[in-house]
Amino acid sequence: MSKIEKMRKALMRTNTRLLLTAVMAFQCISMVLLAFRTNPIDTQALLLAAAMPVLTGLTVGLLGKLWPLDRAILILSLLLASIGIITLTAIARSPITPRTHAIYAAAGLFAMCVGIMMMRSIRDWRRFMLPLAFICIVMLVSPWIIGQEKNGARNWISIIPNQLTIQPSEFMKPVLIVVLAAGLSNRPRFVRCLPVLAFAALCCGILLSEKDLGALLLYFLTTVFMYYAATSNALLTLAGLGMGCGAAVIAYHAFEYVRDRIAIWQNPWTDPEKTGYQLIQSLIAIGSGGLFGMGLGLGSPRNVPLYHSDFIFASISEEFGLICAVCVLAVYVLIILRGLMTAMNARTSFHSLTAFGIVVLLGLQTMLIVGGNTKLLPLTGVTLPLVSYGGSSLVSTFFSIGMLLGISSMNAEDETKDIDQLALKEELAL
Amino acid sequence: MKELRGNMRLVGALVVIAFVALSAWFALTVFEQGSIWASSSRNTRLRQTSAQRGDIIDRDGVVLATTQNGERVYLANNSARRALAAVVGDDAGMSGTGVESYYSAQLLDISDSLLERLSALFNGKQRKGSSVELTIDARLTAAIAGQFPSGYRGSVCVLNYKTGEVLAMVSLPSYDPSNPADAEDTAYLNRCLQGLYTPGSVFKLVTLCSALEHDSNVINQSFSCAGTWNYEGGSIVCAGKTAHGTVNLESALSKSCNVAFGKLAYQLGLTRMRETAETLGFNENMKLGDFVIYNSQFPTSQQNASDLVWSGIGQSTVLVTPMHMTMITASIANGGAMIRPWMVKRIASVTGAITHSGGAKSYRQVMSAQTASTIARYMRSAVQSGTARKAAISGYTVCGKTGSAETSDDKSVETNSWFTGFIQDSAHPYAVSVVIEQGGAGSGLATELARKALSASIEYIG
Repeated sequence: MSKIEKMRKALMRTNTRLLLTAVMAFQCISMVLLAFRTNPIDTQALLLAAAMPVLTGLTVGLLGKLWPLDRAILILSLLLASIGIITLTAIARSPITPRTHAIYAAAGLFAMCVGIMMMRSIRDWRRFMLPLAFICIVMLVSPWIIGQEKNGARNWISIIPNQLTIQPSEFMKPVLIVVLAAGLSNRPRFVRCLPVLAFAALCCGILLSEKDLGALLLYFLTTVFMYYAATSNALLTLAGLGMGCGAAVIAYHAFEYVRDRIAIWQNPWTDPEKTGYQLIQSLIAIGSGGLFGMGLGLGSPRNVPLYHSDFIFASISEEFGLICAVCVLAVYVLIILRGLMTAMNARTSFHSLTAFGIVVLLGLQTMLIVGGNTKLLPLTGVTLPLVSYGGSSLVSTFFSIGMLLGISSMNAEDETKDIDQLALKEELAL
Repeated sequence: MKELRGNMRLVGALVVIAFVALSAWFALTVFEQGSIWASSSRNTRLRQTSAQRGDIIDRDGVVLATTQNGERVYLANNSARRALAAVVGDDAGMSGTGVESYYSAQLLDISDSLLERLSALFNGKQRKGSSVELTIDARLTAAIAGQFPSGYRGSVCVLNYKTGEVLAMVSLPSYDPSNPADAEDTAYLNRCLQGLYTPGSVFKLVTLCSALEHDSNVINQSFSCAGTWNYEGGSIVCAGKTAHGTVNLESALSKSCNVAFGKLAYQLGLTRMRETAETLGFNENMKLGDFVIYNSQFPTSQQNASDLVWSGIGQSTVLVTPMHMTMITASIANGGAMIRPWMVKRIASVTGAITHSGGAKSYRQVMSAQTASTIARYMRSAVQSGTARKAAISGYTVCGKTGSAETSDDKSVETNSWFTGFIQDSAHPYAVSVVIEQGGAGSGLATELARKALSASIEYIG
């Protein structure tokens, strides 16, 4: 390894160490602050004040030792998850909510490790394409048979009644991406793409029948963008987007709930007590936060229905203020940028497309819900990735991040190999 | 692979750009509108804050609302307090449009600087919100409310048509902000901003504007009026079936001839009428900043000739708020430039830092200067020799237009009495609109009140 290369690596290590320290300090200080907010002291918060930084440090240290993965993505993801836990501790009605969320986060870390290992160990994903596609369809259909309706969408199934319910559309996001990446890798011609495209269309159809508009939009856009990246067929991509717009117009005329959503988005103030209530309360919460926020635990974001899941961004804006909310968005941008670098550096088109799909999905989902919270886009019920309360979303997103990290570690190994080979060649030449 | 990377770079860049744009848009929207959202009467946080509300002050420094020993105190004079309720509002938030509600985020400074809040935490003093200084003249407002014919409902708006300052808003019935729960029906409404009235003949100004803007020959045209005109599918009648004989535009306006204006609207057609009305702000969600007004309405389609002909004289489905009507009159007075009405002169924090200061801002040019001066001339002759003679003030040139708007099909309800006009004098640039609900035909009540309001403006403001 050259001297410059060594220095670059050392610098990066220092940078990540700084970042890690800052994140751990943030977690600890916020939780201690929250613990002493109540009288008697909130022991759960105090416990988390110790557990979160320790777990963060251990995860980063251990995984970093095991594999040469992109630590920045890892640390920033953990930061987002801890922002979720901190916000929930500050605003939730009962301490059970943050506790459950912390347990989900721990499960998410486990899922992340599984994701890393799967990505690293499985070399031939094409073999799994058919079974994965089949599982995906079955899981997406399952709410029809054993499902429950929540907030107007039939997209939940219960594993243990009243205790553990999961949202298959969340868990199937990484599966969709892997199937698409496998089907679209190696620059296929259009005919060869048809099966995976038909599969994606089927998924969208099922989601439409379950009124899960948010997931539908994400599945659709991710498919279109991955298709474009894989085939460079701009014409068909635009045609696909056009079809999507056409479908949206038809849906607007055909379904009343779509019309309602649009009407609320255009002017929530016409019915501030009923249909517009949620959005108006969200705007009021964000507005009350101002630039610097009401202060951690001092706001009252609970006025906003779903303040802890779909509307957690409004809660964050109220508690932490506009400046911090924009910083949270900046964290997403950083993860997206690092993720895109991972996608660029990948050695096979499958890995490249998988990383790309994960990043695009993450970006789109964040945009949809942030725009929805702030009346910039019509509201679709998706979670703020890694932050919102909700096990399905958290575990599934961590799994996706795990896959991304797995790809980044393979990239780094390949790069090291290249450098070694280069050095060997130089030696031989001498 | 190379191509794949290129595509990913493109799409990735698009996603990142969209993301950054969304964040920027979010930040800007919150920065601009956040305090308006927070001031919503539906914000329960406002009732929980420990901060003390700041003062509301009129243009002469009269304190309209202040906090003493934790109690909100309004003007001591009973009738003045009630007269200003529409502008000031009340701390219970019964009137959603009052300054107390609309500016509560600033009055309470719920999102003020961290530094101030921290220092308040340490020195234990109760935080006090910013004070809001208005362009409203309290004496003028109280005087107009005092002159309002007793037993009637309605509203009066007075604007400075050069600067856009709102000098007075009176809306009756009023209520007592010290005891807001005890109020007459519809008293919480600020009729100037939220009252959508059928304009009747004052809308002839808009029809006239449309004609002058679209047809340069119309000024020489004459109309014959036999007191009634039968068009295809209906007929239109002048007040009292008076036959005005042959009239030109000037005498048609000053005599308020319905037949002539019905014919004028008919020959213009709905498209051109609508174009002018929308230029003047009908069917538009006007963003004025300091307050919100309901959208004035002009029909966007017509079923039959009646709709068009009656729209031309401000009947049919045409609706307007008194504030908007005053803005239209003000733009006639101001050479065709519509001025943005504003009410908040200054918002200053306890430390004296000025966080907002208002100023004259043009809304847009709504008609040519020539059209404006022609309409003003016709309005002047309406006051000198036409229907608006009662508005004349000796020593000043008053221009105006009367109106009596029918609100029922069978004449079972008395008509609403309207007047809108202004003083043609750059030293006293005041425009006024008066609506007296069920004030009766002839619009005498509204015209007299408008004269009193304009004289009071000259007296109190100078």
